[in-house]
Amino acid sequence: MNSKELKALVTDWRVATLLILIVLSVIAIYPHIDDQGHLASNLQYGLDLQQGSWLQLEFRAEVVGFTTDQPVDAFVTNLSKKLDTEVIAVESTNSNHLEIRKYYSQSDLEPVFASEQGKITSYQQGVSKSTADTVKRVLENKINTLGTKDAKINTLTGLNNVARFIRVELAGVDMKQAQEIVGKQGKFEIRIQTTGNQTEHVLSGETITSVQTPSQVPAGSDKWGVGFTLSESGAAAFRAAAIKYGATSDPAKHNLIMLLDNTSVYSAPLSEDLAGKLQSDPIRQLFASTGTGKSGTQQATNLEIHLRAGALPVDVTIAGSGGVSAPLGERYKTMALLAGIFALVTVGLVIYYRYREPSIVLPMVLINASEIIILLGFISLIKFQMDLPTIAGLIAVLGTGIDQLVVITDEILHEGKVPSPNLYLKRLSRALSIIIVAAATVVIAMVPLALMDLSTLKGFAIITILGVLVGVIVTRPAYGKIIMQILSK
Amino acid sequence: MGLINYNIEKYSPKQLVIIPLAILAVSLILLTLTMVATGMPVTPGIDFSGGTAVTVITTDTKEQITSYFADYPLVEVSDMGNGKFLKFGLMDDSKYKSLTSLINQEYPDARIDQIGETFGKTLQSQAVLALIFSFIGMAIVIFLSFRTFVPSGAVVLSAFADMVMTAATMNIIGIPLSLGTLAALLMLIGYSVDSDILLTNRVLKRQGKLNDKLTGAFHTGIIMTSTTLAAAAAMLIVSWLGSIQILMDISAVLLIGLIFDVMNTWLTNVGILKWYVLKGGGK
Repeated sequence: MNSKELKALVTDWRVATLLILIVLSVIAIYPHIDDQGHLASNLQYGLDLQQGSWLQLEFRAEVVGFTTDQPVDAFVTNLSKKLDTEVIAVESTNSNHLEIRKYYSQSDLEPVFASEQGKITSYQQGVSKSTADTVKRVLENKINTLGTKDAKINTLTGLNNVARFIRVELAGVDMKQAQEIVGKQGKFEIRIQTTGNQTEHVLSGETITSVQTPSQVPAGSDKWGVGFTLSESGAAAFRAAAIKYGATSDPAKHNLIMLLDNTSVYSAPLSEDLAGKLQSDPIRQLFASTGTGKSGTQQATNLEIHLRAGALPVDVTIAGSGGVSAPLGERYKTMALLAGIFALVTVGLVIYYRYREPSIVLPMVLINASEIIILLGFISLIKFQMDLPTIAGLIAVLGTGIDQLVVITDEILHEGKVPSPNLYLKRLSRALSIIIVAAATVVIAMVPLALMDLSTLKGFAIITILGVLVGVIVTRPAYGKIIMQILSK
Repeated sequence: MGLINYNIEKYSPKQLVIIPLAILAVSLILLTLTMVATGMPVTPGIDFSGGTAVTVITTDTKEQITSYFADYPLVEVSDMGNGKFLKFGLMDDSKYKSLTSLINQEYPDARIDQIGETFGKTLQSQAVLALIFSFIGMAIVIFLSFRTFVPSGAVVLSAFADMVMTAATMNIIGIPLSLGTLAALLMLIGYSVDSDILLTNRVLKRQGKLNDKLTGAFHTGIIMTSTTLAAAAAMLIVSWLGSIQILMDISAVLLIGLIFDVMNTWLTNVGILKWYVLKGGGK
């Protein structure tokens, strides 16, 4: 091939796209030697390939569909009393669903519903999506305050918007630590301003018996806040402190301050109204207002988490857990790399055995390798965490990617003759039509896995689909062009 | 290519399909028997039934390991490269916690995966759905692209036979259905039809003598499957040496599935297609 032909080949848009993508991918992967002299890259590894642990938590709660001829509000309040837990109406467009924040089986619930003139129409263990999101926020908060950098939390929500599981992945943490982090609660305290900057202890977190979700009081007023309930002794202590330090007579000078792990998270005076009421009676149901509009809502959301002090609104049990040690992760990484290289070499040998022609085999293997590079580049770019199933997907892409190059080569080389450009194009398009159908079947076979929350297999499915797409859109057309140049020599 | 000399011309459609159909029937019977005995057509692994899997890199013998964990429901110890793969049955939370600390003490570098029973059950029902959806999706793509019943049916039947035979073999040699092997089965659904599509395309959409087209398709098709087989074999060897259970499972199932795929493409599918063309279908 002379330099003119080479230039023509490189400037062909299919080949050019491939080359540009390879360069961009290498930049995205950014292989380099780090400070310690180790080979490093931008690739991120999942828990399989580095030290870390995962916990799968199951919600001890259920979402129940119901019908009743009673007023819904009263019905919910009565249920809540009888079941001794929070019962919340799930916002849903089509039907009535309740979230019951304590575990009961369907047969346990049926008589209770019946006694309130209600009927259960559906039953599913788990929580509503919004509760699951709250749990996720609480956990994230907790993990952040403990300074663990690399945490991933996913709620696994089913098709009906009920989440039964939540998965926590912590890099660089062993399993014992992970269990402690998730189980640990923060120290919550309410203090009162006495004189100047002095404060005195009023309550600790144990006296808060429940925390409500952010709400507007009065309803629809856009004045946001979080309601919470004190135990009887807590309410008495609260009243005593308010009277003792003069907060009931002069509320403006005596802010109430909430602290989580000794950091102030909220500070406000008693309202005039509350101050008056406290003078005569202890009050168990309190409301901390956070202001109006977006910032009010945001602050209320945060305050709810702080009030809970890291306690989750719903009990959870550990449904699964696991961990990989640092040396084993390193070892897996080396082995996976080895498997990839070994697979590429083996595939190359099989191809060589068939064609016995380096000028065909070499481009094939290079195209195959380029596909993997582009995929890795993409993985680096989207900061996807590679795990062992993903690597299996990459190796499978390698094995099947070359299949399709074989289809193209054989189709073009049909009957051993090198075709004229016209015939070549016809044959190439025929080969591509075979490839597109084959690719479509792989994509469609992987779609269910990519959409379902089947634990670790999601990444595998996404990578396989991406691999097929990169192949069909970029590398196969480029290969068609390159092989034509080589054969027409 | 000289190694494989397979003369499709020689055999009648009936001769071609008889062996795979017999194996398919045996496989279906095997799966049914397993289903009757256990409630599942394949043996669910820890991912689906619950339990604890532990990978350790050690030179300790099976007996030593068994004695370390005498107090725990150790179900199986298997060899893997220079390590061992341990399976424990279900246990309660406190037992599990004491097990993890014992493992940390004996084998600080172990890999542990524990799946609770309810989580396993949820995964299991999702896995079944994923398999069904994948298969239906694949069948739709095939029918849409060929738009004739018999050839499309032949491709789908071959893929179905691949699945069933692979599952039956998994039962025989004791590979359980795990997340990894599920992934491999789904991959097979997608990849096993590659060579069937090539075959059908060549036979139906190309001019020429039937036998020439079949031979040509075989030449291309067999090399396609060989490359994937080679990649899977490479992965199997390295993952065995490196004691990576999940890669081992995936590659073993791929390997089994692809071997059956060779049979089902070049006997089952070819047989049906030949019959269809000879009786006047196609061009």
